Amino acid sequence: MIEHIPASPGPRVADNDVLLRVRGTRTEFGAGDQVVPAVNDVSFDLRRLERLGIVGESGSGKSALARTLMRLIEHPGRVVGGTIELDGRRLDQLDESEWRGVRGKDIAMVFQDPMSGFNPLRPIGKQIVEAITLHQDVSRAVAKRQAVDLLGDVEIVDPARKFGAYPHEFSGGMRQRAMIAMALANDPRILIADEPTTALDVTTQATILRLMRRLSDERGAALILISHDLGVVAQMCDTVQVMYAGKTVERGPALEVLVNPRHRYTEALLQSVVRRDQMVSGGRLPAIPGTPPNLRALPPGCPFEARCHVGRGRTDCSTETPRSSGFATQHGSVTVKCHVPAEPELVALSQGPDELRVDLGGCA
Amino acid sequence: MRSIASRVGWGVATLFGASVLAFLLMRVLPGDPARLAAGELASEEAVRARAADMGLDQPLPLQYLHFIRDFVTGDWGYAYSIGTPAREAILGRLPATVELAILAFVIGVSVGVSLALLAAYTRRRWVDVVIRGLSSLGMATPQFYMALILLLVLSQGLGLFPGPEGRLTPGLAEPPHRTGMFTVDALLAGQWTTASDAFAHLILPAVVLAMVPAAFLLRLLRSNLLETSREQYMLVLRAKGTPRARSYVRHAFPNAALPTITASGLLLAELLAGSILAEKVFGWPGVGSLVADSVLSKDFAIVQSFVFLSALIYVVVNTLIDVVYGLVDPRIRSASR
Repeated sequence: MIEHIPASPGPRVADNDVLLRVRGTRTEFGAGDQVVPAVNDVSFDLRRLERLGIVGESGSGKSALARTLMRLIEHPGRVVGGTIELDGRRLDQLDESEWRGVRGKDIAMVFQDPMSGFNPLRPIGKQIVEAITLHQDVSRAVAKRQAVDLLGDVEIVDPARKFGAYPHEFSGGMRQRAMIAMALANDPRILIADEPTTALDVTTQATILRLMRRLSDERGAALILISHDLGVVAQMCDTVQVMYAGKTVERGPALEVLVNPRHRYTEALLQSVVRRDQMVSGGRLPAIPGTPPNLRALPPGCPFEARCHVGRGRTDCSTETPRSSGFATQHGSVTVKCHVPAEPELVALSQGPDELRVDLGGCA
Repeated sequence: MRSIASRVGWGVATLFGASVLAFLLMRVLPGDPARLAAGELASEEAVRARAADMGLDQPLPLQYLHFIRDFVTGDWGYAYSIGTPAREAILGRLPATVELAILAFVIGVSVGVSLALLAAYTRRRWVDVVIRGLSSLGMATPQFYMALILLLVLSQGLGLFPGPEGRLTPGLAEPPHRTGMFTVDALLAGQWTTASDAFAHLILPAVVLAMVPAAFLLRLLRSNLLETSREQYMLVLRAKGTPRARSYVRHAFPNAALPTITASGLLLAELLAGSILAEKVFGWPGVGSLVADSVLSKDFAIVQSFVFLSALIYVVVNTLIDVVYGLVDPRIRSASR
């Protein structure tokens, strides 16, 4: 049962309906000559209802970017620059108490590890009620009813009874459902999911993803999905943003970027994914050689140069930081930061990225 | 976790062990209690008669069984060194110790807990450093030294508190006996002056006794709080917009407090057993000094009864701790069901 992703964000997402505008964001950890620029000058737009996938290896800055968007960076990290605008409101200028009004209300987040995401001493339902009463002026009884409804929405059986259950009485999958329920409690405009299914088993992964896709659409939330799993992103997202060494190296419609990668890093990432044809032939999985660069002392030029099978040793790649270049494609425009981008092979649409897909089962 | 049956079994075993230990200790120590009781110049005959009178001529297991039977029926033996029944001697002194222990416990726990919360919550490094310094000082300062300094400065120097004169200003009549705790009894009888006088006498010794528990709990809770604040759910709480203070008090604190609850129970049991040093310095007529004197005079009845009694207190306090633990932690509740 293989479903088809919409050919393009199309009518669901309007091109010029920008919800979140991020410009030149920079987040650092450490001090002195130990400063690590985890997010290094990242800019992008997120449109209303858009589902954006942010992919990259561990350490590429994708989680740091997600936390920067909610100002959840803890000491010794700090956001040092850039602007973040939500519906025209400058979030980067808010103070801590104003941020509290944004977190969980306008932007909500689901984390990787559902096992330790709830306080073990309080019933799950009460923790969802807390999320509601922090942002809405409703009575406890109303908040409780809302929380029970939310638990039902995330397909927890017998939500009224499960309201009083403690975290240890829930399985990992149920906890992640409850996390999603809690994140959606105040109808946020943006739902950020940071590796939401990495800690779950494969069958649970598919249900959780399907649930997130359905609920974010139903409740009118845009979705930012942080993942290292290209299959999941292909299945879930309209737009893909590939991060490397704290920077966005390629961005564009999922259909285009994951089928016709232009950045050599994206290309290498895609080659390291298990594909059905390779599983049949028993071929070895190609890994990207080398390790990501030391962010404390970034070399001049392209950060991927040392690991790149095309750019390694080229003068421009090792001395000049590549600038953004745009490509118009049949699915929309793609921007790439690469001196020697790959030529798209113009694959026929019928051979779409099916082989990348994790089967989420039939569902809208 | 332990079920109720195993908890009871464990309590009984503790009591048995403590009673055997108490019983044997006094009998293996050098010196003949019958001789001590009969007097230096008494004849062999008189000493033997005394020994028979005290049951010392019987085999040890039988002596032990008699001791247990008598203790349970309320006959704790006769305290030869002071010439009253042991039960009367101990129960007469116990309220003074209990009153002091409760206040010391309340001070120790509240100071320890609030300083730990402050130290872990503050983002100012110097506050944490100062609090940790205080805790080291509290752990390292000997009790008697602290007591003397407090008496010199606050009592003799500034006259803020009464001196080491026991539970009441000399000349003031004791309140009518109900609980034996003077502050409580005076309040019950509506004697406000006596109540405040008794309370004022409690403060300095209670502070001295609270010092080590406060410093210990502070350390324990602070490090548990710091550990808890790194938990994923603390990040989730921030992400849903919870104010920092609320997430510390409502969420981090109950989680971090579990080891503190256990430790508090042990500290309370220890305080209830009385402190010889503090009682001596403040002239406090508690059980600590009574037992110390009885050990020196080999007064079986008092020492035995007291050791057994403190084992009983220890078991009761620990059972209460288990109950509190179950109330706080749902994982334990469902496991012991």
